[in-house]
Amino acid sequence: MTEPIIPQAPEVPEAPAGPYVYDYAASPQRQVVMPKTVPLPSYRTYLAEVKAAAEADEAKWKKMQADYETAKAKAEADGKDAPKPPVRPVPRKDDNDLKTPWPQEAKDADLLLLQELLGAKVQEIFEQAGELTCQIEKGALHEALLLCRDREDLHYEMLADQSATHYPAASDFAYSVVYHLTSISRRKRLRLRILVPEGFVPESACSVYPSANWMEREIFDMLGIAFANHPDMTRILCPDDWEGHALRKDYPVVGWGQRDIAFREDRGGMIERIALQKAGQLGINLKQPKAD
Amino acid sequence: MGVMQPSAFEQILITTKVEKVMNWSRATSVWPVTFGLACCAIEMMAAGASRFDFDRFGAGIFRATPRQADLMIIAGTVTYKMAPVIKTLYDQMPEPKWVIAMGSCATAGGPFDSYHTIQGVDKIIPVDVFIPGCPPRPESLIYGFMKLQDKIMTSSLADRYKDIFEEVG
Repeated sequence: MTEPIIPQAPEVPEAPAGPYVYDYAASPQRQVVMPKTVPLPSYRTYLAEVKAAAEADEAKWKKMQADYETAKAKAEADGKDAPKPPVRPVPRKDDNDLKTPWPQEAKDADLLLLQELLGAKVQEIFEQAGELTCQIEKGALHEALLLCRDREDLHYEMLADQSATHYPAASDFAYSVVYHLTSISRRKRLRLRILVPEGFVPESACSVYPSANWMEREIFDMLGIAFANHPDMTRILCPDDWEGHALRKDYPVVGWGQRDIAFREDRGGMIERIALQKAGQLGINLKQPKAD
Repeated sequence: MGVMQPSAFEQILITTKVEKVMNWSRATSVWPVTFGLACCAIEMMAAGASRFDFDRFGAGIFRATPRQADLMIIAGTVTYKMAPVIKTLYDQMPEPKWVIAMGSCATAGGPFDSYHTIQGVDKIIPVDVFIPGCPPRPESLIYGFMKLQDKIMTSSLADRYKDIFEEVG
């Protein structure tokens, strides 16, 4: 009795490791990297960051001093030379003139007037690089827009731009919606900002500034923030049957899979009809008789 | 003596095939659709203007309607929103019709490996000539068009519907 012949398993060829093989799974455009910080410009956050950095610096200095004291006492006990006293590090001189301008305290009359008029509905006012920003409560947006448009000493006639940003790392809000107002008569610009959580439906600005119509549709298309009382809240850039909102941070660059468009087939049967017609003119019968 | 002199009748007569005459007339009067999608359309306009003069090849008459056109030059990025429009325009063109995919966007999506771009217009309509470049110069477009002319000259009715002949039986 002979040994049964066990067939050898075929060797699995390795994936070619050439320079021109494109690894689709590891492509950076197919990865989604969620941000861990909330880069929302804010004077209050900036002050808190500066304070935290100063406290960390002070704590480090305290620790260096305490370490020196213990090392000194130990050296004295052992009868050795005393260690070198620590030197507090001086911040490095920064000669770079391409600095990011930090947020500053609001001194502009418009911002102060808005804060006076709206009171506690204004969450924050600050200036940055000469630009005025006023963050207001999300419910008081219409009131603020009407004030900015109608008051003689504000008189921002134009809504130049409206946009939104997704901040998935923030805890108490998800999006910031920003209104860029321009006063042509006073040659000033003002930025109104509201922070909205996921699923919140802000009031549309169309009744105050008609130019908000398409910009709000774009925000809806790209980020999925629906606006209440908008005349036509539909997609403006993507097709109507699009899935997802492309400017959210959890949306990959290539989308949720490249969609297949099957237009190539002869849907209306036009090509076949023409072929039969042309063949008939040439005296060829392309229609085969059926077997039965 | 002994050499045959052509008769007067042969001097005024050229014998050829009907198909060849048809192809010749088609290849030398290809009318494109006025249809541009992105920056490649600028190069297409330059090819049509006096310096490069697309009209030397009989293709300078850009028709404003697809129903009078033979050629569609896809000059630019094809987005998902534009795809049904391109398909409709292609369907409206009368047979015989040809398509040139101009530039890397129309041939393979180009740099836009992204959610909104179709990776090549040949996913929605059949393409005869692909022209690489970003954007291709007018010389490239003219060369691609001459390739299309070669294709038209060597084509026949049976070739064009060969797939369907085989499919139908």
